Amino acid sequence: MLWLGLFVLLPTLLLILTSFSRRDDMGRVIYSLTLDNYARCLDATWLSIFGSSILYALVATLICVLVGYPAAYTIGRASPKNRRILLTLVMVPFWTSFLIRTYAWISILSQEGLANSLLLSAHIIPTPIGMMYTPFAIVLGLVYNYLPFMILPIYTSVEKLDNSLIEAAYDLGAGPLRAFSSVIIPLTRPGIAAGALLVFVPAIAMYAITTLMGGGSNPTIGEVIQNQFTRARNQPFGAALGVLLMLLFLVSFLLLGRKKSAPHAA
Amino acid sequence: MKSIRHLILALLPWALAACGPKPASTAGSPAVPTSDEEKKLNLYCWSEYIPQSVIDDFSKETGIKVSVENFSSNEEMVTKLLAGGGKYDLIQPSEYTVEALIRENQLLPINPAALGNLANISSEFRNMPYDAGNKFSIPYMAGFVGICVNTDKVKEPVKGFADVFTPAHKGRIVVLDDAREITSWAFAANKLGINDVTPENLEKVKPTLKKWLPLVKVYDSDSPKTSLKNGDVDLGVVWSGEAALLYRDDKKFAFVLPSEGSHLFVDSLAIPKMAAHPQNAHLFMNYILRPEVSRKISEAFPYYNPNSAARALLSNEEIANPASYPPAQDITRMQTFRDLGKQSAAIDELITQIKAGGK
Amino acid sequence: MTEALAVGRKNFLRLPDGPTLVKWFCGSWTTMVFAFLYLPIFLLVLFSFNESKSGFDWQGFTFKWYEELFQNRILLRAFTNSLLIGTISTLLATGLGTLGAWMLYRYRFPLHRMMEAFIFVPMIMPEILMGVSLLVLFVNLSLPLSYLTVIIAHVTFTFPFVLVGMQARLQGMDPSLEEAAMDLGATPHQAFFKVILPYLTPAIASGALLAFSLSLDDYIVTVFVTGAESQTLPLKVYGMVRVGLNPQLNALSALGIVLTILLVFASERLKQSNSGE
Repeated sequence: MLWLGLFVLLPTLLLILTSFSRRDDMGRVIYSLTLDNYARCLDATWLSIFGSSILYALVATLICVLVGYPAAYTIGRASPKNRRILLTLVMVPFWTSFLIRTYAWISILSQEGLANSLLLSAHIIPTPIGMMYTPFAIVLGLVYNYLPFMILPIYTSVEKLDNSLIEAAYDLGAGPLRAFSSVIIPLTRPGIAAGALLVFVPAIAMYAITTLMGGGSNPTIGEVIQNQFTRARNQPFGAALGVLLMLLFLVSFLLLGRKKSAPHAA
Repeated sequence: MKSIRHLILALLPWALAACGPKPASTAGSPAVPTSDEEKKLNLYCWSEYIPQSVIDDFSKETGIKVSVENFSSNEEMVTKLLAGGGKYDLIQPSEYTVEALIRENQLLPINPAALGNLANISSEFRNMPYDAGNKFSIPYMAGFVGICVNTDKVKEPVKGFADVFTPAHKGRIVVLDDAREITSWAFAANKLGINDVTPENLEKVKPTLKKWLPLVKVYDSDSPKTSLKNGDVDLGVVWSGEAALLYRDDKKFAFVLPSEGSHLFVDSLAIPKMAAHPQNAHLFMNYILRPEVSRKISEAFPYYNPNSAARALLSNEEIANPASYPPAQDITRMQTFRDLGKQSAAIDELITQIKAGGK
Repeated sequence: MTEALAVGRKNFLRLPDGPTLVKWFCGSWTTMVFAFLYLPIFLLVLFSFNESKSGFDWQGFTFKWYEELFQNRILLRAFTNSLLIGTISTLLATGLGTLGAWMLYRYRFPLHRMMEAFIFVPMIMPEILMGVSLLVLFVNLSLPLSYLTVIIAHVTFTFPFVLVGMQARLQGMDPSLEEAAMDLGATPHQAFFKVILPYLTPAIASGALLAFSLSLDDYIVTVFVTGAESQTLPLKVYGMVRVGLNPQLNALSALGIVLTILLVFASERLKQSNSGE
């Protein structure tokens, strides 16, 4: 808890301070109190960028859930030995640098890349399709990068599923679809929720992947904030955007929490 | 506090040396000069801009251990430098950053007596507007921004921005992801001085930018040659060094300086005020100025070498690379970026707005 | 009825036989997911043997990039730095995440809700904000930038991930587990270590894996808080990639992957021989 206080609280406070400040010609922060930065945030440009970033994150999260759930389910229900191996195998690609992985995808998706060559030689398409630098590429990049973040939490929920509950469902005549929708998925809901959170939240502020895969023509809020700290030399504005982002999230989290209010022990 | 003491200790021998006879090493002789500082140098430079072999050779010769830290943008470097986190002896700012740092008194003046090889710098780089007389910085590598064309895909001649940003090339263009750069091209195309960044001028170039940006497929300052090489784009406005690398591998990549006008950038070496080993920094600078060393740098990074002695050592093929040394270019005619201060935010906002498809 | 149950119990570790469809579906889906995950990796490894420096033109099989890699002291140093920092920060983050999740779950204290929300701050804060504010913090605390600062930074932004995963696991826990342990005479302390912790093991494992990957791969935060000696791999990779893809990087990744897979199988072998599964 001390850790939390020191290394999370303090930088956050600093950030909030900065967001109220001005900056000088060099881009250094002059600590002061002004609402100018927040006023700028409400400009339509930034709001629409906020919106598109949230949209990308949402789509990526959804796809991650759909793609990741069956995989997590299979791993969670495998034998204990296989479970550990499979789990680690899921993570192994992520111990290579994400830059190298993303460049590998660029070489797959680019005009003269692997995918196009295969499709062309199989005569499925007449001319190469531009897959890179499109929203498709961005979502693919996001999904690829965040899939393990979805699989891992779902796995932990699945792993402790009580087999007898599932058996009971089948015994009572439920088909697989029913068993899933009425028994299995509700039981693994904490895992899905955790996974969704772990994907959605960081994905909004993600900038490296969206810039590399998207080519920069669809700026995301992460890119904008990054720019403020680098090229635009406007740290306070970047700070303000960041604080807004966090507030947005905190508010929705608190609201959702109130609705959920799951009873805990003691 | 410690660093100030070091600074004084470091400067004392110089004060004495300035009075005494000049050291034996002049104009690139291999005699190893010594410094009285501990044998360390904290170098803060662009990633992959100083060949490791150059650094290693320097260490071997002088016994000075070089710690290298990299940055990927001028602003990142300035942020970290000014925040006081890193204690750097030598930094590698671009020209407009040099100007800003000089203005803010963040740089140590260079001692010309310690730089015997200073004469190797080409005359056009001696009196640049951002640092006249090389008082605070020496040029490391210069370059321009120009148009690189994949001549296999683009058959018509491309002479300037007007030829690049046409509907025929929609979605096949790559440009640098640098709001300032992009705006300067629009300024050039509208016959405005590239450093005349005022709100009125920004409004004037807005229509041009609005016409150009929707045609762009990729924004990339780090490695624009990637998309050109992969065939995802056919032409673009990129750093000359990137175009030179492409040309080296495949002559189909032609390079041309835009007819509307181009500007020069100069990446330099400078010593921060709080440097703990300024003498060693001077040694390194002098080492870089040696023709054979500078030539090695040119080999790896085919930008415009400001060292005339080094240029004399380059092979014919290297000189013939149109992206490294464009024909008939009068460097003195080209402008360089001046520091824009607060206006950089306005530029960034403008470009982001247009990118996001705004009004 | 009992027959079905018996069959079910025999197939305990597989889906009940009735919906074999589900089993096949899940199995093939998972295979496809793995194919998706490993496609770039496979290409990566392939190109590490490619004579040509760039992408696709295959110019012959060679080991030369591996040779160059082993002579590249800087890159290797960065690699070991990353491993070191990764391991330490993972250990710390996992510990913090587990303790934090348990405390939030088990105890009620003022500002509980606030605390929960605050955990997410490092997750949602854009990395550059975190990097710069931590830098300013460290400078104000007169902490020199080095391994320590990098580790602190890494733990700060990875432990929320561990914590969230832990919370998910805890939510599905039977609350009477702890009670039962205490009824049998354990102190809360013992109950935690002997009952709760083992239950949490899968979450701990997956949290640790996540934290390690995050630490290994982090670029922006590290850039601002690192000193010159603690340069990590992503920093160097980013720089190298800017000039053009260097197959040395492919070679490094390939080696890393092979090493990990070997480690995993080795530890499995060890576990088997130890506990006689």
